[in-house]
Amino acid sequence: MALTSKRRTASVVVVAGTALALALTGCSKSADDSGGSSPTGGAAGNSAAAQQVQSTGSSGDSCTYTTYGADKIDLKNVTVGFSQSESTSNPFRATETQSITDEAKAQGIKLIQRNANANVQQQNTDIQDMIAQGAKVLIVAPENSDGLAPAFAQAKAKKIPILTIDRTVNGSACSDFIGFIGSDFAGQAKIAAQDMAKALPDGGNIAILQGTSGNNVAEARTDGFTKEIAASSPNLKVVASQTANFDQATGQKVMEQILQSNPDIKGVYAENDTMALGAIQAIKAAGKTPGKDIQVIGIDGTEDAVKDVAAGVMFSDVETNPRFGPLAFQALTDFYSDKGTPTNIIIADHHFTKDNAQEALDNGDVY
Amino acid sequence: MTDVAVRPTPAVLDRNRVVTWLQDYGVYAAIAVLIAINTAIKPSFFSMDNFRVQAFQVVPVLIVALGMALVITTEGIDLSVGAVIALSSAVIPLYLGYGPWLSIVIALVAGCVSGLLAGLMVAVANVQPIIATLALMIGVRGFAVILNGASAKSVTDETIGALGLDSWFGIPQEVWIAVVIVLVVAFVVRRTAFGRRLTAIGDNRAASALAGLPVKRVLVAVYIISGLLAAIAGVFLVGHGGYADPSNYGLNYELSAITAVVVGGTPLTGGRIKVLGTVAGAVFMQLVAATLIQNNVKNSYSQMVEAVIIIGAVYAARGRSGR
Repeated sequence: MALTSKRRTASVVVVAGTALALALTGCSKSADDSGGSSPTGGAAGNSAAAQQVQSTGSSGDSCTYTTYGADKIDLKNVTVGFSQSESTSNPFRATETQSITDEAKAQGIKLIQRNANANVQQQNTDIQDMIAQGAKVLIVAPENSDGLAPAFAQAKAKKIPILTIDRTVNGSACSDFIGFIGSDFAGQAKIAAQDMAKALPDGGNIAILQGTSGNNVAEARTDGFTKEIAASSPNLKVVASQTANFDQATGQKVMEQILQSNPDIKGVYAENDTMALGAIQAIKAAGKTPGKDIQVIGIDGTEDAVKDVAAGVMFSDVETNPRFGPLAFQALTDFYSDKGTPTNIIIADHHFTKDNAQEALDNGDVY
Repeated sequence: MTDVAVRPTPAVLDRNRVVTWLQDYGVYAAIAVLIAINTAIKPSFFSMDNFRVQAFQVVPVLIVALGMALVITTEGIDLSVGAVIALSSAVIPLYLGYGPWLSIVIALVAGCVSGLLAGLMVAVANVQPIIATLALMIGVRGFAVILNGASAKSVTDETIGALGLDSWFGIPQEVWIAVVIVLVVAFVVRRTAFGRRLTAIGDNRAASALAGLPVKRVLVAVYIISGLLAAIAGVFLVGHGGYADPSNYGLNYELSAITAVVVGGTPLTGGRIKVLGTVAGAVFMQLVAATLIQNNVKNSYSQMVEAVIIIGAVYAARGRSGR
C-alpha cells in the first residue's frame, strides 16, 4: 500500500516535471527582436579580428614539456579539456568558448568542456572531472587567482599540463601551470583613464564599477586606472569605487545607489562592458543622458557596448579579445615541441572610439 | 549560597525583556536608526528619488521572502526560489510574441509548476525540504539556461519594462503590487483556516496529521505559493534590467530571502510567522546595502557587516525561544 502510493508520487513528480519541460519548449514564440546580439556568430572566426600577440615577455621564459616534467604527447591523439569560468550569457565568454571549440575542431583535436558559472568550487570539480574523464592537457579560464589550487595540484600530480587564459592564477609558470595568454589589464585601464581625461577636460567626480573581488583582472583594472588618474589628471576625483561582480544587473543596482549619493557624478569607468550597460540603464532611469550628462567608459569591446560607442551613448571602449583558440592551441603545440612556448603571452587589443566604432561594427570585427 | 540560585537577578530579567523587545521591534527601530544616520550624513537620502531606487531593489527580494516565510513557518525551507526567478526570466522572452501578459502568465505558471514539484517531493514523497529544493535549485536553473540558450536576451517590451521601471502616482508599480501581495499574505495568515494550519503544521506535523488537518495539501500549496512569488520577482527583475539572463538572475536570492525572514523575527524552527517583520527584514537589509554602497565602503567590509547582522538577529531569536 505504502509502496504503491510512493511509486505513484514518484511518477506524478516525473510526469509533472516532463510536462513543465514540454509545455515550456513546445510552442514558444519570441518577439521579433532586432536589438539582440548573436555573440556566437561569425565574429569568433573573423580573421581580421583574430588575436595578435603584443609581447611575450623576455625571451628566456620558454616552457617545454621536458622542463615542465610532462610526458610527450601528440595533441591529435589525446583529449583536451577546457574549463570555462563564467556563464556564456556574457558575450566575452560565449566568444571565448566558441573560439576554443572551433580551433579544436579545425585541428581535429578531441575537446571536452565544462562551465563553472562563476563558482570557483564548481571549477575545481569541473577540472577534476575532466581529468577523471581522461583529459591529458587542460586549458583553463580561471574564475579567480586563488581558489583553484586543489584542482591544479591534482593535475600536477598526474603530470597533466594546464594552460591558463584570460585571467591569471597564483603559482609559478612552467611548474604549477604552463603559462598565461591574455590582455595587458593594467594597460587597458590606463587607456580607459586617458579616455576619461579626454571625455572630461574640465575634470569632475567619477565612479568606478569594479569586477569581482579577488581576481587579478579586477585588481589590475582598478590599479591601472587610479594610478593613471592620479599621475596625469588631478582634476578627476574618484568618489565611489564599488564592486559589481562583472554582472549587468549588479552594475545597474550599484550605479543606482552611487547616483543617489553622488548626483554630481560626471564619469563612470566600468571594468567590463556588462557593468557599463547596467550603469547606462541606471543613468537613464535617473533621468540623465549617458554620453552627455555622464560619460561611460568600458572594457571588453562587446557588440552592444561598441554600438553604444558608435551612437555616442558610451565615450569609448577598450577591447579584450576573447578569440583564444588559435593562440592557445599554438602555445600547446609549441609546448610539445623542442621550441617551447613563452609563459606570458600578452595580446594586442583594439580601442573603440566614436571615430572607429561604426567601421569595426560594419567589418564584423566586434563580438 | 542557595538563595542566589532560587531567585533570578533583576539583571537577567532586564536582559530577557531587552531581547524580547529587540525581537519584536528591533528591526523597525534599526530601520529608523539607519534612515536617521543616512539623512544626517546626506540630507538627500530622505528623498522620494532615493526611496524609489531602494524600492525597486528591495521589492523582488521582499516578494520572494514572503513565500520563504510561509515555507519556513511549516518548518521547511525553499532553496529553489533563485532558480525559479531564473526560470521565469527565461520564459518571458520566449513567449513575448504572444504579447506581454500571456508571457507573464506562462512565467508565473512555470513558477507554480516548480513549486508543485517541490511540494509533492516534500509532502507526499517525504523528502526533506532542504534536499528537495536543493535538487530543484540546481535542476531548474539548468533547465532555465537551456531554455534561454547561451546568451542573455534583451527584453524591450513596454508593459514589462513599465512593471520594472515606471510609477503610478509617484510610487513604482512594483511597490503597489508588492503592497497587495503583503496584504493578501497577511490576511491569509491571520484570518483564514489555511493560515492556522500553516502554523499548526510547523509546530507539530505529526499532531496536525493526527488531528485530521490536510497536511499534504497545505504543504503542496505553500511551496506552490513560494514558486509563484519567486516567478513574480523574476518578471520584475526582467522589467527593471531590460534583459533576461537566467544564468545570473536570482543568484543567492534564496539566501537574501532567508536572511530577511530571520532578521524579521520568524524562527527557522517553524510554527510562527511574522509577515510585516519579513517586509521590515527585507527593507532593513536593503538599507544596509544602500548605506554601505552610498558611503563607498569596501565590499569585503560590507559582507562582514551583513554577517554580523545575521548573527545578531539569530541570537535575538534564540534568546526569545529560551533555548
